[in-house]
Amino acid sequence: MTKRQTRIFFLGSTALFSLIFLALTVDTHQRIRTLTHSGEITPAVIAGKHVWHRKNCINCHTLLGEGAYYAPDLTKIAEQRGAPYLRSFLTDPSKFYNETRDRRLMPNLHLTPGEIDEVIAFLSWVGKIDNQGWPPRPILVSGAAIPGSDVGGAAPQAASDDPVAVGQALFRQTPPGCFACHSTAAGVNVVGPSLSGIAATAAARVTAADYTGKATDAAGYIRESILLPNASLAPGANYSANGVSLMPPGFEQSLQPAQLDALVAYLMTLK
Amino acid sequence: MRYRTQAVAYPYFVVALLLYGLQMVFGILSITKYLGPDPLMGLLPFDISKEIHTNVLIVWVLTGFMGATYWLVPEESRTELHSVRLAYLQLGLWTIAGVTAVVSYLFHWTEGNKLLEQPQPVKFAIVIVMLMFLYNVGMTIWKARRLTTTEGVLVAGLALAALLYLPALLTFDNYTLSIYYRWWTVHLWVEGVWEMIQGGLLAYLLIRLSGADREVMEKWLYVIVGLTFIAGILGTAHHYFWIGVPSYWLFIGGFFSALEPLAFLGMAIYAYTAMRRSGLAHPNRLALHWTIGSAIFSALGAGILGLAHTWPSVNKWTHGTMITAMHGHMAFFGAYVMIVLAMITYAAPGLFGHDQESTESPAGVWAFWLQMAGMFGMTMAFAAAGIGQTYLERILGLGYLETQHKIQVHFLMVLGTGTLFTLGVALYLYDFFFLAPKRRPAPAAWPPAPEAQG
Repeated sequence: MTKRQTRIFFLGSTALFSLIFLALTVDTHQRIRTLTHSGEITPAVIAGKHVWHRKNCINCHTLLGEGAYYAPDLTKIAEQRGAPYLRSFLTDPSKFYNETRDRRLMPNLHLTPGEIDEVIAFLSWVGKIDNQGWPPRPILVSGAAIPGSDVGGAAPQAASDDPVAVGQALFRQTPPGCFACHSTAAGVNVVGPSLSGIAATAAARVTAADYTGKATDAAGYIRESILLPNASLAPGANYSANGVSLMPPGFEQSLQPAQLDALVAYLMTLK
Repeated sequence: MRYRTQAVAYPYFVVALLLYGLQMVFGILSITKYLGPDPLMGLLPFDISKEIHTNVLIVWVLTGFMGATYWLVPEESRTELHSVRLAYLQLGLWTIAGVTAVVSYLFHWTEGNKLLEQPQPVKFAIVIVMLMFLYNVGMTIWKARRLTTTEGVLVAGLALAALLYLPALLTFDNYTLSIYYRWWTVHLWVEGVWEMIQGGLLAYLLIRLSGADREVMEKWLYVIVGLTFIAGILGTAHHYFWIGVPSYWLFIGGFFSALEPLAFLGMAIYAYTAMRRSGLAHPNRLALHWTIGSAIFSALGAGILGLAHTWPSVNKWTHGTMITAMHGHMAFFGAYVMIVLAMITYAAPGLFGHDQESTESPAGVWAFWLQMAGMFGMTMAFAAAGIGQTYLERILGLGYLETQHKIQVHFLMVLGTGTLFTLGVALYLYDFFFLAPKRRPAPAAWPPAPEAQG
């Protein structure tokens, strides 16, 4: 091989692969519209993207797995936690996490309510991008996808007296020990059904034709399911037998009314 | 120093090394925040310390590249530099732009786009500086009518680096598209044209340090940069895995990323064979260490550790974990930090007016080995953290916060080995700023004996 030949190898292969790359880029541009639902990029989504950049979110969090590794991935966060929770969290993160206990805390970014709604719109749009199904299983901020596997982690104590924060902590305390049977990750059903999206599920079930309980709204349905597990049975052969739910009874006695309210408030944020 | 104007490299190296020191400060700060709680959260939260850590790295490595080029081009083209004044002016503007970026981050002024956070005016200043630089180098070569392959590859790499910075000026409403083009700058820099720059500098150093035949070295240089681009251009696809682009990028990314170690392996073999022929005969043994170290560490960090997580079925689980930090640290250090330090170490005796005589100081040797050991340790600690995180958080489904709590011991290890590394950097700076200028050749060795001339 002479130097002239290796130079031709270098120039030729570089030109060839650059051309292939450019051709694929043109194709990607066309397919990206469907894959990212670009029709749904509303002014609010764009404004939310600006908030995302301006507040430097990417230098702690990852989005679509890209960014820094100091804080959780937010690709599916809007779907996982729903707008009411995120709105409340972003207004004051210290109400939900405690720096001494969790070692890390998101600084209060002092976002205006408008900015918060915009960033939620942006994150909701990101969550719907068709990205080959990543992440392969849900990435949770805290807790565990598999019930009972988070023993030894941060002690579940509420960071503030916000009902949602109290309810979230309560969910992982024993009693009532909800987390021992229920996960909050989508599709992870172990002993009891996953409570991911329970607020939406409850709202749908309460109006269903075969609903047998007395609740009239989603919160009422959740409350009823905790206190009277047999009032209406969750579909699935593993969750009830002979018309009796496998969920243990007796939470009427073991939960204070305020605790029950908090638990319902928390579960209502699982959209 | 064969040409007077090569001295321009000195202030570039000074700025580069001072920024290297600053990078360490923000690195240590950032890892400390992983241990939490963070008393500085209100003043200097993690996002800012990390942003400064990575941005200062890019700025100082580029400063080093520019200084190295100003050192190398007069020698290769056998002429004085076109304009010394322009080179100084360029450095001044570059430093102002760099410092402005860092200060603006401290005041939360950022574009919040990973690694390309520079505020828009700073971005324009960077483009202007690059143009000044390319003009100056281009005029030097044009006036001399002499362009060697080594400097051609180096300067082409720098020109392409400037060109590929332009996508960073674009903004898109679609987040997926903005990620898509962000990698044109970031990936095609570090796994494309910067590698070309590294190759050019490596060829120069190997020719000088081993006395290897230029024709042979330059012939293989073409092969190495050819391999770099075959793998590197379509290798961009490994950044397109889960961001909302068509699925064919998965296969392309997996396949071409698997080829990426070839170019680095090529560089390691290149360095090894050049050195095997001549042995470690050159008096500047430290420059030799940094040169060969760069070839080996980049093969390991960029080549092997990159390959470790670019296969789609692996990356699906490791994407966005500490595994990326493991690869990033060793790759950047091996490929770019070490090649710049090799150039500085090689040029230092000339810049201080005592050609390649008596250049090895205990401080310099310690600086080398402490950085080696520190970086190796950090990489291992990041790997342990990343494997733990992938298993607990991604596979078992444990929450992010609980996982971080459980892998905290590895962050402690990063802090420990990072401190060791920082000590090495401090020694390097001490050697360059305080010891090397005082090192004068012994009277008997001046003028150098003919056999000692490199």
